[in-house]
Amino acid sequence: MAKNMGRELRNTDFGMNDHFLTEINEWRKKRYPIMKEKRCLKQRVSMVMDKLYINGQLYQDSRMAYPRTHNPFADDDDEEEQRWSSGGFDDPPERGMSEAERKQRCLQQEVMRTAKSAVVSSHRSLGLIYESEKIGAETAEELMRQGEALKRTERMVDNMGQDLKTSQKHINSIKSVWGGLVTYFKAKPETTKSLPEEPVVYQASSKLQNAMSHSKEHEGKYQASHPNLRKLDIGGFDAFASDDSSSSQNGYPANRQLRAAHQTLDNNLDEMSLGLGRLKNLGLGLQSEIENQDTSLDNLLGKVDKLDLKINNTNQQIKNLK
Amino acid sequence: MDTSGKEKEAMQLMAEADKKVKSSGSFLGGMFGGSHHKVEDACEMYARAANMFKMAKNWTAAGNAFCQGARLHMQLQNKLDSATSFVDAGNAYKKADPQEAINCINAAIDIYTDMGRFTIAAKHHITIAEVYESELVDIEKAIAHYEQAADYYKGEESNSSANKCLLKVGHYSAQLEQYPKAIEIYEQVATNTMDNPLLKYNAKEYFFKASLCHFIVDELNAKVLLSLLMYEEMFPAFADSRECKLLKKLLDAHEEQNCEAFTEAVKEFDSISRLDQWLTTMLLRIKKTIQGDAGDLK
Repeated sequence: MAKNMGRELRNTDFGMNDHFLTEINEWRKKRYPIMKEKRCLKQRVSMVMDKLYINGQLYQDSRMAYPRTHNPFADDDDEEEQRWSSGGFDDPPERGMSEAERKQRCLQQEVMRTAKSAVVSSHRSLGLIYESEKIGAETAEELMRQGEALKRTERMVDNMGQDLKTSQKHINSIKSVWGGLVTYFKAKPETTKSLPEEPVVYQASSKLQNAMSHSKEHEGKYQASHPNLRKLDIGGFDAFASDDSSSSQNGYPANRQLRAAHQTLDNNLDEMSLGLGRLKNLGLGLQSEIENQDTSLDNLLGKVDKLDLKINNTNQQIKNLK
Repeated sequence: MDTSGKEKEAMQLMAEADKKVKSSGSFLGGMFGGSHHKVEDACEMYARAANMFKMAKNWTAAGNAFCQGARLHMQLQNKLDSATSFVDAGNAYKKADPQEAINCINAAIDIYTDMGRFTIAAKHHITIAEVYESELVDIEKAIAHYEQAADYYKGEESNSSANKCLLKVGHYSAQLEQYPKAIEIYEQVATNTMDNPLLKYNAKEYFFKASLCHFIVDELNAKVLLSLLMYEEMFPAFADSRECKLLKKLLDAHEEQNCEAFTEAVKEFDSISRLDQWLTTMLLRIKKTIQGDAGDLK
């Protein structure tokens, strides 16, 4: 047909249109915006002469048409159903569903969606909790190593102090005969025993254990509040679920799925609460360890400063001896 | 422009230092004090030259200069200075020639162990092991150095550092399929850490790894189950952990020779906490044994 060759004129400045009767043209002009709107909603639209077909169904005039257009809506995504505002629309007898039932179905679907998204987000939070626990544990190990290094440093500084005392005595004896005699008669310097590692570590752990016992008490209180909350949730949803089962057949599968979703949600929440408890303990332990290390760092600073002065003194004395 | 100027200066210093050394060698007899001075000056000049080479980013020359300075220090019986110079040389060579770096650091380690400074020696063993891990990719030698470092740390009562090295040894031994060794190490570390309130959060991780190694070694589930029960008894928190549940699921899947259940359990675990490279490799090996037993059905 000659009309089909219209396609050949694509991308040119020419076009090809049908020549319709004026009334039909008027009608078509009115329907163009509606056609564009429906095309935006990705529905199959075609205009034949003076009839507009949407998804294969004849589109009636706007005043009567809304109930009809609900049929394509009902086929589409659930989001479309939200546009369906309740009001004085006549119910078409087509699907055999009352307005209330359809509303209920759409609300059910909402509930399922929110339940599913809740489960997914609880999964994500669980993953995050475990990740933070892992990071916390690694930090704890690093802290322990740091603590040991600090203790070692302190020991070495003490040793240095001892060595400096001995060298001071030697210098005194070199400086003067009298000083030498004095040092000879003085008691030999006692070598300080190196501080054993274990007791200091245990002190840290007793603080931690105190913190842990405190937090366990609080954990008990928290757990008392949790089951109450959970019962409310389940109670609310179960009431809804039972309504569903009484009203329509569609309610049953939703009920089971809902229950499964809630089950997983509860399990995840349990695990999350356990994980959070562990995280809290870990944090408290880290805090007390850091406090300990802070105090030992301050001590170390003081010792090193004194040592620095002594070394300078000794250097001066030796230089003067020359 | 600046760097090339520095290089020339550095070359000049090196030449001067060489001359000093040679001259001091030839002046025997009454110039003892003088020759010492000269050698010390030469050492200092070598160090300065090396620093300038570093500025010019000529790492090999810098390493070379540091090495020469270190040898001179040895002659003067300045062990500490010599060791530090060797370490500097090693650091400079790290960027250019890993093998030379390892040689220098080894020399430094010898000096430190001679002096009895085991902690520093252990630290340098770790450095060498890291070079083997990353640049020379010789896992066996890396393991050897990590082990040596762990022994030194244990000797110096630095248990956390020792544990860190031991973990690396276990990690690589399992990768190289030396499973009994890995099992022993992980069990040891886990039992050590499970009592410490700060470190116990990782203990379950180590028990998990030990069980996985058990699994690979011995597909007859008896031993794995036994070991699992033992760990649970020792460390109750392990029983609650998701890792323990995963292991039990894997055991069941293995008994039934069910590949899908295995993958399903692993995927579930992965959805919450990612499995790292090592774990994935081990799990794949276990899976292969299932498939092997099933007679290549899947």
